[in-house]
Amino acid sequence: MAMNMDGSKPIDLRDALFDAVHAMASKDPRVIFITADMGSWSLTRFREHLPGQFINIGISEQNMIGVAAGLALEGKRVFVYAIIPFLVLRCLEQIKVDLCMMNLPVTLIGGGPGLCYASDGPTHHAIEDVSVMRALPGMTIYNPCDQYAAQAAVRQAFDQQGPVYIRLDKGRYDIIHKPDAAFEDGVISLKSGAGLLIIGTGIMTQQALKIAEMLRPAACGVGIADLFRISPLPCRKLLDLIKKSTHIITLEEHVITGGIGSAISELLADNNLNIPLRRIGIADVYCSQYGCRECMRKSVGLDDVSIKNNIVKWIGAANC
Amino acid sequence: MNIPSIDAEALHRKARQLRLRILEAIAKAGKGHIGGAYSCLDILVALYHGKVLNVDPRNPKWPERDRFILSKGHSGIALYAVLSDLGFFDVAAMNTVCQDGSSLGEHPDHRIPGVEIDTGSLGHGLNIGAGMALNAKMDGLPYFTFVLLGDGECYEGTVWEALLFAAHHQLNNLVAIIDRNRQITLDFTEDCIRLEPLEKKICDFGWDVVMVDGHSYEKLNAVLKASRQPESRKPLAIIANTIKGKGVSFMERQLKWHHGMPNAQEIEIARKELSSP
Repeated sequence: MAMNMDGSKPIDLRDALFDAVHAMASKDPRVIFITADMGSWSLTRFREHLPGQFINIGISEQNMIGVAAGLALEGKRVFVYAIIPFLVLRCLEQIKVDLCMMNLPVTLIGGGPGLCYASDGPTHHAIEDVSVMRALPGMTIYNPCDQYAAQAAVRQAFDQQGPVYIRLDKGRYDIIHKPDAAFEDGVISLKSGAGLLIIGTGIMTQQALKIAEMLRPAACGVGIADLFRISPLPCRKLLDLIKKSTHIITLEEHVITGGIGSAISELLADNNLNIPLRRIGIADVYCSQYGCRECMRKSVGLDDVSIKNNIVKWIGAANC
Repeated sequence: MNIPSIDAEALHRKARQLRLRILEAIAKAGKGHIGGAYSCLDILVALYHGKVLNVDPRNPKWPERDRFILSKGHSGIALYAVLSDLGFFDVAAMNTVCQDGSSLGEHPDHRIPGVEIDTGSLGHGLNIGAGMALNAKMDGLPYFTFVLLGDGECYEGTVWEALLFAAHHQLNNLVAIIDRNRQITLDFTEDCIRLEPLEKKICDFGWDVVMVDGHSYEKLNAVLKASRQPESRKPLAIIANTIKGKGVSFMERQLKWHHGMPNAQEIEIARKELSSP
């Protein structure tokens, strides 16, 4: 596992993100954190240090959005936290009416993107949320892939005037970005290339880096980009990368209907670009077996080997 | 408790005048939810013209104002009639409701002076109102938050989430008023899904509850003004017993007038009834 710049080990993405909110709340009493009964070590610290700015609202996510809207209307900067299906899908209409229609600065932190809650089963999987949230006018979506991206998502959310959605994975992941990377660009090139471009999002960007290694030595000049901000799509920066490529792969732990593959295909269509695109994600199914995340990925063709084979089959070994 | 009195007869006259404006606006729009607008109008007049709410039409965003949320947003036209009559915006705008390019649609929009939030989807207002009331508690602010709900709206589970939350956080600066007209679109509430005993249910959720005749200005005035001087730490629910379609004889308690559109002859009859002293 890659180390931090100072030699320390990576920290859990949740702690990175929540500690960033905690630091902001320490300086600004307007910052309020509401959880729907979800915790972490860092949230325990937050609650003990700033009990007046921390609310456990119980398992009532819809009420959480309404209360957050009421607080935001009165000038508070509210962060709310729940597992994605219960935050996004259960509360979709609250998010639309209470937040998006009035453009309120509430940040939704969704725990467990994709197959993160693997053996908990499809009730806990979050494989449709990007499609749904992309459709909401005014919604900004961040999908951080490492601890620095998670911290940047909090900084950018705080500066935002409208609603924000952050997909928050759990666990320790390799440091991919520099602390001062240009997160404001929304997409960050990790490897430049002139042939195949793999666009990953969230921790699938971690996997994209592994796949690129697996494609070597055949892979000469595979480009990798991390789509940190899914919406609004960073069109100009993406086009700069796309126009240098001959083939594009999008990689997401999400259904391909409406996810980042759809977003990139819309970008190509809107700009009259005829560049071959392969959307790699989850087909039109819910997982029907249980196991660890890697096992679940294998079952839907999102493990390293399946993805590599998928790419090789698509563009031919000679072109990889 | 010292409750300032009101001129009930003057408020009744005002309400008749506003019912007529609502009728004319709906006639011009060719659509509207007239029954529910008429059932809650006396509550709105008691709140605004009866000076329960601490608001300033010249300064709608005055920070210390009381917050009022019309959670039963389909009665927006009743709120427009009240707000425009007080000068939040021009009364002439009533003639534009639902017309092309108008800023007044069928449901309230937060861009309308005097309107706090977008409503129209039921089961949102009390949750947002609870957030506003919590903010006042957090910051020691003096404003009260009043939320007017429909009784049919109480079928929404989110209402009960808000009731739990507000009771736990002792939001005695939050007042929920339920327009208990006992009707929904297709049915009477007790024939559809029983709400009774509503008072007991809300009481059991940890609220103080009072029942009131929602068309008596003396009684509304007493209950609403007392709500600003809470004697307990519980939030307060006021169940206002009302008549859907109140004020026009052939509309009262008739399911047809949830969003029925009166024809020319019916409009003429309603006009006469609302114009007579």
